[in-house]
Amino acid sequence: MGAQLRVLRRRIKSTQSIKKITKAMELVATSRVGKAQTRVAASLPYANAITGVMTALASTANIDHPLLKPRDPVRRSGVLVVTSDKGQCGGYNANVIRTAEQLISRLQEDGKSPQLYVTGRKGIAYYAFRGREVTGQWSGFSDKPSVEDAAEITKTLLSAFVSGADDEGDDPGLDGILGVDELHIVHTRFVSLLTQTPEAKQLAPMEVEEVEADEVPDLMLPAYEFEPNPDELLDALLPKYLTTRVYAALIDASAAESAARRRAMKSATDNAEELIKSLTRERNAARQAEITQEISEIVGGASALAAAGSE
Amino acid sequence: MSTAVSNGTGRVVRVIGPVVDVEFPRNAIPEIYYALKVDVELAEGTKTLTMEVAQHLGDNTVRAICMQPTDGLVRGTEVRSTGSQITVPVGDGIKGHVFNTIGECLNLKPGEEIEADDYWQIHRKPPAFAALEPKTEMLETGIKALDLLAPYVKGGKIGLFGGAGVGKTVLIQEMVIRVANNFGGSSVFAGVGERTREGNDMVHEMAETGVLDKTALVYGQMDEPPGTRLRVALSALTMAEYFRDVKNQEVLLFIDNIFRFTQAGSEVSTLLGRMPSAVGYQPTLADEMGELQERITSVRGKAITSMQAIYVPADDYTDPAPHTAFTHLDATTNLERKVSDKGIYPAIDPLASSSRILEADVVGDEHYTVATEVKRILQKYNELRDIIAILGMDELSEEDKLTVGRARRIERFLSQNTFAAKQFTGVDGSFVPVKETVEAFKKIAEGEYDHFPEQAFFMCGGLDDLHRKEEELRASAK
Repeated sequence: MGAQLRVLRRRIKSTQSIKKITKAMELVATSRVGKAQTRVAASLPYANAITGVMTALASTANIDHPLLKPRDPVRRSGVLVVTSDKGQCGGYNANVIRTAEQLISRLQEDGKSPQLYVTGRKGIAYYAFRGREVTGQWSGFSDKPSVEDAAEITKTLLSAFVSGADDEGDDPGLDGILGVDELHIVHTRFVSLLTQTPEAKQLAPMEVEEVEADEVPDLMLPAYEFEPNPDELLDALLPKYLTTRVYAALIDASAAESAARRRAMKSATDNAEELIKSLTRERNAARQAEITQEISEIVGGASALAAAGSE
Repeated sequence: MSTAVSNGTGRVVRVIGPVVDVEFPRNAIPEIYYALKVDVELAEGTKTLTMEVAQHLGDNTVRAICMQPTDGLVRGTEVRSTGSQITVPVGDGIKGHVFNTIGECLNLKPGEEIEADDYWQIHRKPPAFAALEPKTEMLETGIKALDLLAPYVKGGKIGLFGGAGVGKTVLIQEMVIRVANNFGGSSVFAGVGERTREGNDMVHEMAETGVLDKTALVYGQMDEPPGTRLRVALSALTMAEYFRDVKNQEVLLFIDNIFRFTQAGSEVSTLLGRMPSAVGYQPTLADEMGELQERITSVRGKAITSMQAIYVPADDYTDPAPHTAFTHLDATTNLERKVSDKGIYPAIDPLASSSRILEADVVGDEHYTVATEVKRILQKYNELRDIIAILGMDELSEEDKLTVGRARRIERFLSQNTFAAKQFTGVDGSFVPVKETVEAFKKIAEGEYDHFPEQAFFMCGGLDDLHRKEEELRASAK
């Protein structure tokens, strides 16, 4: 009995300290969601502007640019998976990885061999544990990604994509790099504080997203005159546009991560509270049982002695 | 005291429930444990009560515990000392019959008589120290959880611990079916303070499977006075000892339930006015248990293998009653409510159950390593349980997730369809050879079945069963 009581006390104590941690993390995550959303908002004007320019360019320029032209056949596709660096965010990583796995198996069914690019320690650990080959990996910025991070990722992805153009089968071609013919990105979209949905999108060959005129009121497509010519401009701008899209995915994912963490920590705190409640009840029952037993032993012993004495 | 007579006549001087004080002539005081007889006139006729001397009070008075209800007994009634202890019939003639504590047969057909080789007194000495022979041979039960994690010892003492309603009696019945059916020697079953209905079921069960002809049953169930319940185990044990010592047979002894023996001892102790000890038990608890358990042993060449169900009050294993029994056993099987709540039967707690012979020297290297690995995985899962409860599965590292997945599969695979539960489940029992058990758990622990759904591991026998269930599940999912 005594041992059981001690065990219960210890478990209550450790659950209480876990609760303290999860509560603190919940508060931290709440403030991070706000900050991440501000960053998303701040990036929007630039993203809109460059999308506008790209739309205008694409409608006038030669569509034969390698970044825009679908390749046939597609032999390899690159998949960029955006995960978090730290855990304690519920199903966030599991969901995005599951979506990525679905995409990968779909690609394999179509006869394309996938190449993995992963950001975030959790994703890297997931693939490392399963012994899967990861072509490129980045980590350390999932809570606050910068444009430089996005640019670095884009650079790697682009070089793989560009070098893929001259590959024949499994032969790396002139540049000696086994490139890819398609690029996909899998990340988590921040829908609201309560909903985050994993999403897979194609990055390249690019479909320039058309911007609706009423979304960006001061957009005037035909008014541009290009100097130098549209083709050269496209060469310079397409990588920048790709960076913007990767960056948008990263900050969106970081907002989603914080939201997921807030929710996970909230339910963890609730669970801990629940556990503490039931353990406390068990402890009280054990303590009371011990007291009752001691009293009955003393009373029983005393009356047995009294009975023995009277005879 | 040269004039002492062993079978004198005395008079009842006091009756308090099952405790009767009797005054004897100065030269005819019966010894402790001697049986006394008294005739009681009741409306339905004369009844003979048997009592056992428990204390000498002085002034030529002895205090005796009555083996039957004492209604109708009055002061002054004449009491005869039999000059010996309670005796029970022994020998091959007792097989197929049911007895009570004082050796009376309860299921005689009209005109039938017990052909006993002899009548033995129920209080006997344990075998001499030099005659003991520790065995280390494994007794195969065909139940995966038992064979793998708590292998039973041939000629050893096996305890089945469990709280109320987790399946002790069903497991004992299962053992009767599994072990006694394929057993060459004689079996003795002692029903101590359990339900009369279960005792009756057992007789019919045995008659159906044909084990009854090899088995003697002794019942002192929960409706009987404490004196009866205290001695019924000894009566059964005496019969078993005769098979061992005189007939030179291998003997199986089933006792359901040893706790009731302790409980009866506690009741008697209180009635005798002894001061209660820890948790209200008798001060002589360890001594009483030791006297019984020390007699259940294997001597050179002849073994008594005993299986004892032991009730654990309020699921508290530190309670003195189960704890005292614990130290005497070679293998212990703990039935756990948390396991039975999950619907896993037999509800064996894989971490708490243990056996003396789970050593590499006895069961073999592979068995030992697999058992250790299975325990390690389950232990790890236990440690992670709080974390899973608070943070959820997703927060575990990849290795831990795998461990948890395997632990859950192992947990389910430790359940098994049993013969005794056929009436509840409609599925026949399965016998899994140890070799197959070890192989199956090795494969699960190594992750060979990580892709099988957990449900497939539930209530199945060997690997064939597992594969068949997996296919069924796959087919029904489509």
